[in-house]
Amino acid sequence: MKFRLEWLGQYLPGELPDLATVRRRLTDVGFIVEGTEGEGGDAVLDVELTANRPDGMNHRGLAREAACALGREFRDVAAPAPAEGPVAAASLATVTIEEPALCSRYSARVVEGVRVREASAAVQGRLQALGMNPISSPVDATNHVLWDLGQPLHAFDLDTLSKGADGLPAIVVRRARAGETLVTLDGVERTLSPEHLVIADAERPVALAGVMGGLHTAITPSTTRVLLESAHFSATAVRKTARLHGMHTDASHRFERGTDPATTVEGLNRVTALLVADCGGTVARGVIDTLAREIPPKVVKLRHARLVSFLGMDVPFARCVEILTALAFGVAEVEPGVLSVTVPSWRIDVDQECDLIEEVIRVVGYGALPEALPPPFNPTWSEPILAREDRARDLLAAAGFVEACSYSFVSADENAPFVSAVEGSAPVISNALGEPFTTMRSTPVIGLLRAARHNVRRGLSDLALFEVGRSYALVAGHPVESRRAAVLLHGRRGTHWAAESRPADFYDGSGAVAALFAGFGAASPELRPATIPFLAPGRSAEVVADGVVVGWVGVLSGALATAWDLGEAVVADVDVAAIPVPPPPSNVEMPSRFPGSDVDLTVTHPLTMAWKTLESAVRNGAPAELLRVDAKYLWRGAGVADGFVKTTLTVAFGSQERSLGRDEINRWRDEAARRLLLVPDTAVDGIA
Amino acid sequence: MSGNRPEAGGSGGPQAASPGSPVSVEEARGLFAAELTESEAAASPRGGFLPADVAALKVRWLGKKQGVVTALLARLKEVPKEEKSAFGAGVNALKQEVEARLDALEAEALARAAALAEAAKAVDVTLPPRVPPVGRLHPLTVVRRRIEASFRGLGYEIADGPEIETDWYNFESLNFPPDHPARDAVDTFFVEGGGTGRDALLLRTHTSPVQMRTMESRKPPIRVLCPGRVYRKDDIDPRHSPVFHQMEGLVVDEGITFAHLRGTLAAFAKSFFGGRAEVRLAPTFFPFVEPGVDCAVSCAFCEKGCRICSFSGWIEIMGAGMVHPNVLAAAGIDPERYTGFAFGMGIDRITMLLHGIPDLRLLFENDVRFLDRTWS
Ligand SMILES: [Zn+2]
Repeated sequence: MKFRLEWLGQYLPGELPDLATVRRRLTDVGFIVEGTEGEGGDAVLDVELTANRPDGMNHRGLAREAACALGREFRDVAAPAPAEGPVAAASLATVTIEEPALCSRYSARVVEGVRVREASAAVQGRLQALGMNPISSPVDATNHVLWDLGQPLHAFDLDTLSKGADGLPAIVVRRARAGETLVTLDGVERTLSPEHLVIADAERPVALAGVMGGLHTAITPSTTRVLLESAHFSATAVRKTARLHGMHTDASHRFERGTDPATTVEGLNRVTALLVADCGGTVARGVIDTLAREIPPKVVKLRHARLVSFLGMDVPFARCVEILTALAFGVAEVEPGVLSVTVPSWRIDVDQECDLIEEVIRVVGYGALPEALPPPFNPTWSEPILAREDRARDLLAAAGFVEACSYSFVSADENAPFVSAVEGSAPVISNALGEPFTTMRSTPVIGLLRAARHNVRRGLSDLALFEVGRSYALVAGHPVESRRAAVLLHGRRGTHWAAESRPADFYDGSGAVAALFAGFGAASPELRPATIPFLAPGRSAEVVADGVVVGWVGVLSGALATAWDLGEAVVADVDVAAIPVPPPPSNVEMPSRFPGSDVDLTVTHPLTMAWKTLESAVRNGAPAELLRVDAKYLWRGAGVADGFVKTTLTVAFGSQERSLGRDEINRWRDEAARRLLLVPDTAVDGIA
Repeated sequence: MSGNRPEAGGSGGPQAASPGSPVSVEEARGLFAAELTESEAAASPRGGFLPADVAALKVRWLGKKQGVVTALLARLKEVPKEEKSAFGAGVNALKQEVEARLDALEAEALARAAALAEAAKAVDVTLPPRVPPVGRLHPLTVVRRRIEASFRGLGYEIADGPEIETDWYNFESLNFPPDHPARDAVDTFFVEGGGTGRDALLLRTHTSPVQMRTMESRKPPIRVLCPGRVYRKDDIDPRHSPVFHQMEGLVVDEGITFAHLRGTLAAFAKSFFGGRAEVRLAPTFFPFVEPGVDCAVSCAFCEKGCRICSFSGWIEIMGAGMVHPNVLAAAGIDPERYTGFAFGMGIDRITMLLHGIPDLRLLFENDVRFLDRTWS
């Protein structure tokens, strides 16, 4: 927001303050001057104003802050009531407020015999300096007062307002009726509803209260009688109206943040004086000042002891009084060290003691605060899921995966194939940036697919990526976020000159899942063949821990791989919170002193028979000395019938108490072989 | 000498004592020296004797049946009686000399053979190694952990909360009344299917809802850090992203002061940016704190101003303030008895500053050429 130094200086008696000093001190007290243009009186400051300080969005208000920050006198500019004619304003128009909650006060003046002209060079110059184009005296005068005092104003052509039962042009502040319309100054016809606060005449709306006037009642070159409006509207009412129509005006910007309810008449008098000076005319006698609701001044207690303990620093009592007084707060010491502070009507941001403490410390300067530390604190708790997520990241990075970070939202089309990955429906953003950012992902794998496509397009196709992040769902209207570890493999593995590389396959994906479980100390998950719509049939599995499905792994379906411009991709997604992590070991037993023994068994069996079946046959009925059953190698081709495969199992035996004899190991091996033979369609090498 | 000598690594059969076998110890000793010299010369192109060479020499000189020394000893019976004793002693001395010499040569030859065997296994060590896959953590993870470590040192616990939030937790309980202009500064994504008013669902615009949830579930003293992903309706460009990451902190206890906030931010700055870092606070407005603070840290990258700090010497990295009494009250904490402070920073922004990352989009694009490096 722009401010002219000369204009500010009008409120600072004496020499015009130095631009650089004003810039620095305003910034210190919370009005950040982002830049300046020009020099001397013509200098313009660009100030960033926070939403809580609408009182600083005008020259008088900012000058008051500057005076306090610079330690200079602030002196208001007197605005005497204009010279009035004999005709009473009240005999020329009526004002009625039907909604006292939304409009506390409506002050109006009437000027007759006006000839619309240009504004004075002084007014035009100031507005131009702030980047506005002069239009005509009535418009420029209202803008000038808005930028001077922060009071938005509006000028009606009195003769366009329809008359009420009393025969006088009427101003009625009311809610719009359903279906009423209004063509605003910008030429747009707007359909209204009772949510809109409007200014109406006896028949129809003539302005959107606090936002914009109507076209048909606006001042024109032929206007001779003017009704000037200076009102206080509720911030919420103006905001609602402005938002309903997507409008934003200098007036609505101030009303939405809160204007000074006590400035309506002062603003009215200033604008009247400017108008008459430029356009002549006679000011009707008196202000039609309708006060629908008194807004009493706020009174807030400030305890000096509280201020000191809150800040952790002493600011002398007298200095507190001095600062508050300079900012126009009324102060009275009601008991020793306790001030009763009357808040100026324009300080809509000050409600509580802490607001007053801020007033003091921001003027003293935050730089004066000492650097202290709170007393020691003994942390006893931290959210366990965060530690678990971080551990999953470390484990997957240690397993050779690169961590990705992708947006939580994806396109509806991208998400659709994966909705079954989580229970519930995918949350949809109602005001998204557009695709591909509309839908909260059902799995972080979608982000990894995007990452893979990005890399493959740049010629980097051998990928091992992971992301530990959330998936999102709505279940019965409630958002559910689960913590997922997702991995993606693409391209070749083990690329090295000494050996041939191979494409990433299912077992790289299940291996990543197994590594994750092993890293957490959890038992290996069961991989259960499953039909999963987004994975290739026959190369997809559910990850099952303690009988519960906690994730999935597999080769991405061919159609999806094609849609993502990828070759074969192996993907997995595991619910990190559901990994059954055991407590750390508490009772470690000595490793056996006795070396164990491995024996091999080679089984020929149908291709359709799962490894799990063989493993179970070996395990079920085995002695306690059985330690492991591993697959050593698989052979298909020469010597093995079509539809069959030869699997060599390694069976490891060992004992905590003794060395195992060759004879008993051979016996156990033969027993295991016989159990394997009991499985239909199997043959075991060397065993009839 | 004849050419009838053991070949290298030779067929190695015992050599017949050649015609003209030595008849005296002195003659034999001379012959041994000469043969050794000749054999060594023959073996020198291969680097010296190999075990088979020495084995052949042993057979020729010490062989039980036809060895030269054995043959010489056999001549004892032909030696006149009075010379027998001296002859025998001479032959024995010669035998020991030859044995010692050949044993030494044998040890050398074995070592040479072992070295040759190793040399045959030598590889080109300059060829690219077989590197196990090296995983990487994302820079945002690394920087988040660094920030957490700084605050853990100050006794902070770590808390967490949902990303799909209600209007109540994201705004209203944090002193953003409905229809308040303060909400304009925060472009919010809303989620379909939520309730209305305070029950409306949205993507949290800051991690501050975690503060409220923490205050609701735990009583003071509270000292927590809330890291997490947040959302603002910003178009994507080198400086903006609709998804980014925040780290917020909250301290609530009796006797917490504004000076404690300043001291805490300064302690963090020193721990994170180095011991010379200083903080500068300036007034600003956030609805959920009063007073509100913008916190800048002295530029760690320059002495007198640089591009990173816009030549000001200061980098704004945090918002902070004293927890607003309305917020404490909304959480059921007595604002007269307890005070507190809160602070928040953008992890993405700090990551970009620390590592000179030119474009925010790099953090979300997942180009492995960007990610494949160590960030700590
Ligand atoms: Zn710098």
